Amino acid sequence: MSFLRTLSGRRELLANLVSRELKSRYKGSLLGFLWSILTPLLMAIIYVFFLRLLAGRGVPTEEIIIGVFAWQFTALSVSGGLTSITGNSNLVKKVFFPRIILPTANTLANLVNFLLSLLVQFVIVAVLLHVRGASMSGWLLLLPVVVLYHTIFNLAIALLLSSSNVYFRDTQHLVGVLLSAWFFVSPVMYNLSFVERFAGKAPWVMDLYLLNPMAVIITAYRAITLPGAVFPWTVSSIIGLAIPLVLFAVACAVFERAQRFFADML
Amino acid sequence: MNAIEARNVSKCYRKQGVAPPTLFGSILNSLRGARTEPFWALHDVDFTIPKGRTVGVIGPNGSGKSSLLGLVAGTITPTQGSITTDGRISSLLELGAGFHPDLTGRENVFLNAAILGIAREDVRRRFDHIVDFAGLKDFIDMPVKHYSSGMYVRLGFAVAVEMNPDILLIDEVLAVGDIAFQLRCLDRIREFQRKGKTLLFVSHALQTVEEFCDEAFLIHHGRLVERGNPSDVILKYIKAYMGEGGYLYTQEYGTRDVEITDVKLLDAAGHEAATFTTGQPLVAEIFYRAGKKIDNPVFGFSIKTGNGFYVFGSNTQIANYRIPSIEGEGSVRLRIDPLTLMQGNFFLSLSVHSWDHAVQFHRREDWYPFAVKNPTQAIGIFQLSAAWDHHAAH
Repeated sequence: MSFLRTLSGRRELLANLVSRELKSRYKGSLLGFLWSILTPLLMAIIYVFFLRLLAGRGVPTEEIIIGVFAWQFTALSVSGGLTSITGNSNLVKKVFFPRIILPTANTLANLVNFLLSLLVQFVIVAVLLHVRGASMSGWLLLLPVVVLYHTIFNLAIALLLSSSNVYFRDTQHLVGVLLSAWFFVSPVMYNLSFVERFAGKAPWVMDLYLLNPMAVIITAYRAITLPGAVFPWTVSSIIGLAIPLVLFAVACAVFERAQRFFADML
Repeated sequence: MNAIEARNVSKCYRKQGVAPPTLFGSILNSLRGARTEPFWALHDVDFTIPKGRTVGVIGPNGSGKSSLLGLVAGTITPTQGSITTDGRISSLLELGAGFHPDLTGRENVFLNAAILGIAREDVRRRFDHIVDFAGLKDFIDMPVKHYSSGMYVRLGFAVAVEMNPDILLIDEVLAVGDIAFQLRCLDRIREFQRKGKTLLFVSHALQTVEEFCDEAFLIHHGRLVERGNPSDVILKYIKAYMGEGGYLYTQEYGTRDVEITDVKLLDAAGHEAATFTTGQPLVAEIFYRAGKKIDNPVFGFSIKTGNGFYVFGSNTQIANYRIPSIEGEGSVRLRIDPLTLMQGNFFLSLSVHSWDHAVQFHRREDWYPFAVKNPTQAIGIFQLSAAWDHHAAH
């Protein structure tokens, strides 16, 4: 709650930092804002192409597209959040303002990007479904809830990583490695039925798998968008859903403590 | 009513290597049982500053002045004690901190204002004023990465003072920009004082401290060693330096057959002083001790500006003032009247050498710092006696 109060007290600063982030990201690039859509799209095309080549027909294209777009939001929030304090060291050392605004602004800038890319994503998904004579699920109305949820999770990670990187600069190297591992244990290029087949007769594998919040979040996006996909309501998926909220509360507390000595460590 | 209250504030840093902190490094250190050595940047500093007062903080480099300002600004958290402030703070700790090189001047004005906590509406209303003050009308829509460092700082200053803070913190930033801009900055500061705002500023320009401040703090080795009337504190500061012989570039050498034992700088009234006024006399009373009889000694002096520019040098030989011989203790009086230096920090060097320049008995290079303040509006480093004459054509 104190988090929201801080943000609303300095919402002009927040808005300015978000627009600084967005403006500076595409300054000097020819296609500008389009890159936020092109990057995940091109990645999705590459995945689809090579998956077809290597594994034959498997995961539907629209599932991969949804997975990649959602993953892109998290991946950008992780890498941007990581350096949101260390990259603004002159600001942090010289001017006082609630430091929590920096990682938050970064995550929100990525959210803006993500929302714009979603517009394109849904057009493509709708076309792909239409070709097959299907249409999007009515559950899509739940999209704002899922996006909000996803954002809270990304923000929690950004807060943790940004403060950790101030104290331990090797965080950024570690995160690079962990991020690629995380990519493979999240259902970006595949879906839950693939995990089910893989788990076979050991249902605990699936339970363990769903503890990964990204597994639940990506699956939720697919479940509300695609007519055939369903969300697996199990104990472990509910725990998976609860993790981001707990993580966010922990992250706020950690950040609050850590930020007092940011200026000393930079 | 107090604007700033510091209660037994201490700030401790852990001495670390030059490398940024790493997880690996700290695990290694804790395994080795290595303890990082604490460094007390500020030690038990206790003061209150009433509203409307202007306080100058002086002290050698690394004494803790900037840490003090950081603590007041809230960017640094004290290790012990507490600092409370009353009113909106704007810090000119680093002008243009937070400017983004890729954004234009206009975009950065709004961004910087938001960082300082100024409402967007206020900025829009005063935007033209800010740009005017910075003198950047033609460049405001250019990315700031193409700005010169002076333009950068001017824009930062314009935004910071436009915020209309209750407490203004200034860290040695007035030494930037050209003279015209500096004068405008000083005007702004006077305006702040008239409005009853509180100012806390760090400066090495001692004459500025003397001119603007109601009170001066002398900080040395992290302690508030002296506070009070600016001219007294400045004198203490300068004398402490002489005692330590510790100015960065001071040198002392010679055979010591004649030794300069003490020097007093006196103002027009004959009082010992550290700041002098343009057009008034400066008298240096030089006490010596000659270990043996020296015939025809030559006493010399030279003056340099704070940044090393050689202003003037002469000696008793050049001045045709012959001292037949000296032995034991005595004094020489050097009178500079009127002092034609303008404002700034200067260094006086003194020497005693033999008539043929072959033996340097004692030379103290840049040993005696003093400040000069200029009561007029004229600018520059040297006062020329200039007069005007006007004749109409018919």
